[in-house]
Amino acid sequence: MSEAQTPAGPPVVSLKKINIRYGNHHAVRDVSLDIARGEVVAMVGPSGAGKSTLLRAINMLETPSSGTLHVGDFTFSLDHRLSQKELLALRRSTGMVFQQFNLFPHMTVEKNISLPQMRVLGRSRAEADKVTARLLERVHLADKAKAYPARLSGGQQQRIAIARALALDPKVMLFDEPTSALDPELGLDVLEVMRELAADGMTMIVVTHEIAFAAEVADRVIVMADGEIIEQGPPDQVIRNPQLPRTQKFFRAILDRH
Amino acid sequence: MTGVFLALLKGVPVALAVTGLAFLIGAVLGIPLVLMRRARSWLPRLIARIYIDVMRGIPPVVWLFIIFFGLGSGIIALSPFRAAVLGMGLISAAYLAEIYRGGFLTLPAGQNAAAVALGLTRLDTLRYVLAPQVLRVSVAPMATFLVSLLKDTTVASTIGVRDVMMLVTQQAQAAGGGFAPFIAAAVLYILLSIPVAVLARTMDARMRGRIAA
Ligand SMILES: Nc1ncnc2c1ncn2[C@@H]1O[C@H](COP(=O)(O)OP(=O)(O)OP(=O)(O)O)[C@@H](O)[C@H]1O
Ligand SMILES: [Mg+2]
Repeated sequence: MSEAQTPAGPPVVSLKKINIRYGNHHAVRDVSLDIARGEVVAMVGPSGAGKSTLLRAINMLETPSSGTLHVGDFTFSLDHRLSQKELLALRRSTGMVFQQFNLFPHMTVEKNISLPQMRVLGRSRAEADKVTARLLERVHLADKAKAYPARLSGGQQQRIAIARALALDPKVMLFDEPTSALDPELGLDVLEVMRELAADGMTMIVVTHEIAFAAEVADRVIVMADGEIIEQGPPDQVIRNPQLPRTQKFFRAILDRH
Repeated sequence: MTGVFLALLKGVPVALAVTGLAFLIGAVLGIPLVLMRRARSWLPRLIARIYIDVMRGIPPVVWLFIIFFGLGSGIIALSPFRAAVLGMGLISAAYLAEIYRGGFLTLPAGQNAAAVALGLTRLDTLRYVLAPQVLRVSVAPMATFLVSLLKDTTVASTIGVRDVMMLVTQQAQAAGGGFAPFIAAAVLYILLSIPVAVLARTMDARMRGRIAA
């Protein structure tokens, strides 16, 4: 993980001067960010800072008003509207995990993971189910293939959601507070899977309040406030020795809660 | 009374056919209608909205007269039966589109976001993710609508469809004004609607059971 500190090659994700507005509200302001292959970035900051908004711009669930977005093999200027084809290409390069899991409740676990492979990548059912079985092993839920999501705990559902995203071979995984809806013990299994994923070299951007996880797993911590990146660097530096008073206050508040 | 009742039974197949076919037309036409109602651009939204409001605003009896005497006499010759099926079908489309729309509103926003984030096309998102869930929550209100449609199609007799209601009127006139035929019709319609209601409840429970915890 710390090897990724000196990245080789072009960035997997590159944002340049991204702006996102909701009416008059300027939620993300001129944010630029490069993320290297295999890098794990933890994004932290107070509520309303724009973390989710920025993360959701990377797969265009939110539409920036200006800027340039590069993911994998694709570069898009956001001054014009992207075509449906461009949007699909972009989304095929990214995997996203939501706070609320968002599994499809009317499908079995297996179908949840296999169906997108068949529809998005054109895999046959047999191929897809094989990949699904392998991923279920990887998230330690091989015995749940035929279960419906409602029968699973939140932590299990979130691990299925991770498997579903991984099944499409994304270039980068985007996590928006993946453990915030979970009891702390259930969140541990999810964090363990994410830790393994990071160790396998997956490029990851994780919006999180789990400072311990960020300190241990992240190569870089990014602090956002008021729609801007106010501080970033290796976790040792940013978490243990933050420079800005605003950042110091933020981490003190979080550490006090634990 | 039993004689009257048996006489009315002859009208049941026609009443059921009008109801069933009108429901089918409505269930199918309701799909493009709800998609237009939820479209991003305003024009399809407006058209769908006007259609729905107009169809739900016109009394069925008036609408059937318009279809049968207006459309039927001038443009295309429609039998009373076909006019009734078409007329009630077009009304059903409006109600069923609104039922579907209510189903869409019950879905958590995350379902669409997850499908979009996975890279599913809009059509695939609809077909595999949203529509099956909408259908599940729509079963119960659709069945309720079917029962009320069964009753509403009694207006078909006013344009000459030989359904239960037509026979009731004939029986009543033949008997010189007694109300026995009306009681018999009431019993008959209750008996017809019970199976629909029971079926609806079982299907609804089955479909929900699977999703619920
Ligand atoms: N759909 C929306 N419409 C209007 N304003 C929005 C919308 N989504 C977010 N915002 C606003 O944009 C700002 C950034 O929101 P965002 O959800 O990105 O914050 P966040 O950093 O993820 O916060 P949290 O830690 O609470 O999740 C907030 O002020 C929020 O109110
Ligand atoms: Mg957020």
